[in-house]
Amino acid sequence: MNEKDFAAKLKPWLERSAAQVGELEATRLKAARLRALDAYREPVSILGLATVNGGALENARYTLLQRGLMILPLLALVAALALQSIDTDVDLGEIDAQLLSQELPPDAYIDQEFRSWLGKSSR
Amino acid sequence: MLPCAHRIGDPKLATQKELSDFLAQVERRAFKQAVFAVHDDAAALDIVQDAMLKLAEKYSARPASEFPMLFQRILQNAIRDHFRRQKVRGTYSTQLSNLGSADDDESDPLDTLDVEDLGNVPESPAARFEQAEVMAFIEDAVKALPDRQREAFLLRYWEELDVSETAKVMGCSEGSVKTHCSRATHALAKALRAKGITL
Repeated sequence: MNEKDFAAKLKPWLERSAAQVGELEATRLKAARLRALDAYREPVSILGLATVNGGALENARYTLLQRGLMILPLLALVAALALQSIDTDVDLGEIDAQLLSQELPPDAYIDQEFRSWLGKSSR
Repeated sequence: MLPCAHRIGDPKLATQKELSDFLAQVERRAFKQAVFAVHDDAAALDIVQDAMLKLAEKYSARPASEFPMLFQRILQNAIRDHFRRQKVRGTYSTQLSNLGSADDDESDPLDTLDVEDLGNVPESPAARFEQAEVMAFIEDAVKALPDRQREAFLLRYWEELDVSETAKVMGCSEGSVKTHCSRATHALAKALRAKGITL
């Protein structure tokens, strides 16, 4: 009889041994199983690229492409804020230019006090 | 990517029911495996509970088909952790390295052992008693195997993992698995023959 045949004949004895586990142990095993099932978390999909079990997000490692795609929204936000900031600077410059060139009454240039104020503020 | 993460398009991920069914199916065998290893029912229950919890917590995002190997890996690691903790406490479990009689005959016990088909539970009380005795002896013989031999034998022939899967669970080569299995089988056969047991 070879190894596999012997093991095949022994297996039912092991199965029977497992089936005859005591009632107390069986109850505890069932309780352990239910506790484990309580800890089960539905798998979570991350940006449609990967699926991980709940609680594993902090441990997940991703490829360079996946990482790039994950920080894409953040990069878009930073870019939008930067553009907005540049626009604001341009707007303020235009207002200043209008104030100084167009909307200033011609009399202001004759006014000595205004000239001295302009000199002080430019320093 | 960690083992807990799976890409979309991989085999269907396990549902809670599949996990429940799997655990219900393996819990008693896992308990007996742990008992064979640690020789302590309470410790074995703790080990199985930890293994179940870890499987549910860390590996729910895996296909159900991967559960047997994952669970066995977790279970065997939990058993090893138990021994490490025991070692730290300074208590060592006694392992019998030899089974059966000390005779050094070179005949292959597998060649002479007559194993009958086990069939159903015998009807007469005497036969049932005899069967219980045989089962107790088999359990003791499995317990007495060296750790790696018992692990390999149970994974291959009870859990029915293939050689490659068993090697992965045990963290050794496929050749080592075959060696462990062969030695375990011969040791068990020798022990049964020495006791005069014909199954």
